[in-house]
Amino acid sequence: MAFYPGASSTSANVSSTAEKDVEVTDSPPDSISSLSFCPVADFLAVGCWDNNVRIYEVGANGQTQGKAMYGHQALCFQFAGISKVISGGGDNAARLYDIQTGQSQQVAQHDAPVKVVKWLETPQGSILVTGSWDKTIKYWDMRTANPVSTVQLLERCYTLDVSYPLMVVGTAERHVQIFNLTNPTTPYKTMPSPLKWQTRVISCFPNSTGFAMGSVEGRVAIQYVDEKDSQNNFSFKCHRRDQSPASKDQSLVYAVNDINFHPIHGTFSTCGSDGTINFWDKDSRTRLKSIYLRPMSRSGSSSAFNRSGTIFAYTVSYDWSKGHSGNTPGHPNKIMLHAIKDDEVKKRAQKR
Amino acid sequence: MAKKKNKQLLRPWCWYCEREFEDEKVLMQHQKAKHFKCGMFHIQQVHKLEPENLPRIENALPGRDGYEVEIFGMEGIPVPDVADYKRRKEIELGLTAGSITQPQAKRPKTESRTLSEDELRAQLEAHKALMGAHETPAPAAADTNQSSVYAATPQTYVTSTAPNPPVPIPPLPMMHPGAPPAFPGMPPPPGAFPGAPPFPPSIPGMPGLPPGPPPPGFPVLPGFPPPPGMMPPFPPPPGMLSPFPPHGITPPFPLPSMTPPVIPSSTPAPPSLSVTPTPVPGQPTIPPPLTLPNPALAQTNPELKKRTVLKYSEPNFSPDEVRGRHPKYYVAKDTSSSTPEAKADAAPEAGAAVAAPEEARGKKRARAEDFL
Repeated sequence: MAFYPGASSTSANVSSTAEKDVEVTDSPPDSISSLSFCPVADFLAVGCWDNNVRIYEVGANGQTQGKAMYGHQALCFQFAGISKVISGGGDNAARLYDIQTGQSQQVAQHDAPVKVVKWLETPQGSILVTGSWDKTIKYWDMRTANPVSTVQLLERCYTLDVSYPLMVVGTAERHVQIFNLTNPTTPYKTMPSPLKWQTRVISCFPNSTGFAMGSVEGRVAIQYVDEKDSQNNFSFKCHRRDQSPASKDQSLVYAVNDINFHPIHGTFSTCGSDGTINFWDKDSRTRLKSIYLRPMSRSGSSSAFNRSGTIFAYTVSYDWSKGHSGNTPGHPNKIMLHAIKDDEVKKRAQKR
Repeated sequence: MAKKKNKQLLRPWCWYCEREFEDEKVLMQHQKAKHFKCGMFHIQQVHKLEPENLPRIENALPGRDGYEVEIFGMEGIPVPDVADYKRRKEIELGLTAGSITQPQAKRPKTESRTLSEDELRAQLEAHKALMGAHETPAPAAADTNQSSVYAATPQTYVTSTAPNPPVPIPPLPMMHPGAPPAFPGMPPPPGAFPGAPPFPPSIPGMPGLPPGPPPPGFPVLPGFPPPPGMMPPFPPPPGMLSPFPPHGITPPFPLPSMTPPVIPSSTPAPPSLSVTPTPVPGQPTIPPPLTLPNPALAQTNPELKKRTVLKYSEPNFSPDEVRGRHPKYYVAKDTSSSTPEAKADAAPEAGAAVAAPEEARGKKRARAEDFL
């Protein structure tokens, strides 16, 4: 881990287990596909491969309460306002669920499963964007059954993130398409991924100057959009394990499943198929913290910060990286809540 | 003959110290004197003492001084060591590679008896399969045309729909004198072959003809889309459909100023978009395999550093896509199994599937209401 020389020196912050973290009660019965915090209230939406979406209310001390559930094989979520959840899923549709009325309705339609939904709060108003494996992204104002606009992508949409006005789409075949949302129908820039393996996740910097992307080959790239910042681009290895405890070869390479930026400090988390979660500071290029899920499981499949950045939710669940045979019945499906201490997410002074 | 020649080149040698000897008898004497000094060898063999406590074999090359390998003359030398020795010997003697190893290979036994019918057929099949494996992909257009030419003539051979080799079939004069020669890509003149004998579709041993259409799930060769006759029994997955035409592009959104937009729950799904991949009736539980929209653009993982293991090594599909096609999670199963008539309707045609999402929507809403 050459880029992160501080990684070993910050051992004070490395907790060997995730024991202190709170487990959400009533966890789903099957693997968790995605989770998302509400940006304005303490709700956590969790999608499960059992075709149900569960919404929990999270208290200040991490106590949770099941709030609602509706049927949808959801791959992604976004809260729209205080009480509405939008989920996109395997039925090629996006659905809007109102927590207060308990009604769900279809709000978007694609030709293939919807992998990403994002609720954009723009200066002009709000709009829903959906990205699908049918190689399109569509914008919906949700008053009509037809999209406001459809954009043809180069390949299947695997990941998409927005930090207004920046929107970055990662597709199959390692394309990255960057949009400026002041002109949302044409890509601002299209480039090959800086990583050589399949794109897994993209997450935009909160200040919209760039994005972090993770690939299946245990690597994260930090990429700035503006050419003048390109000297700051870098990538680093993570989520690797040694073949055996004796050898320090880091030869088992796991996928980076999710990346989340802290809403206040701008540091970010990665969670990997190897069963670890790391917090990083891209500017000082240091690892701030590690959470090992190993005693519990093999993979952290997705994660999210809450709106104030005080709670970090992550899932312990099978991510299908080993296919059907890896889905052993005893595999846990848990949602864990980690209370964030400030020094775990605060930026470090730059060493360089 | 070969053996004699070999003997000249490769004399018996001692594994422990790699010395050559006149014959095995001398070798054995050498080993007794130099390596198996009295007792030591049979300490293990006869007295069954712990090998860890044994002294090492004397006068041996480093790494060959253990008792793990039981050597007796030329017997018991590990195969890789034999090959390695031969290779070095070849270099030393200035021979071309394989000149020692080659003659040693036994001549394959050939039976002179006549083969039975069944055996002959099996061998022919094997040969055909072998030749089919070497087949180079043909341009798609030529393929479909060719198969349509074949399909136009009445015949019973299964192989006719199989992809044909790129080799243009020469005009077959013996088939239909007077008829224009059938070139691949040229439709048969109407009524040209009334009652004519069918094309001989599978001349025995004709190169490049696989025995039949590949089974469903058989990986389709890149740049080699199957001709219509051998489409797998599923509708193409959504990615295979012609790319969605970009809608009328609306310049910067005419955005609503109010935040909570409400759609009446009876809003119909846009009919043109609701193409749900649904398995054909009879095979409701098997989702279609994942296919690339453009097989020619298939990705391959770059070389990994030595001794590293990539845990998710599928370059073309994400884990979620793979999971979505698992029978347990495949969504089309859900929509079709709940409504039998929708299943029947769910023909590969796009329009027929409109009813299914509607049905599913209703059902799902009901479930959510129940829960609350």
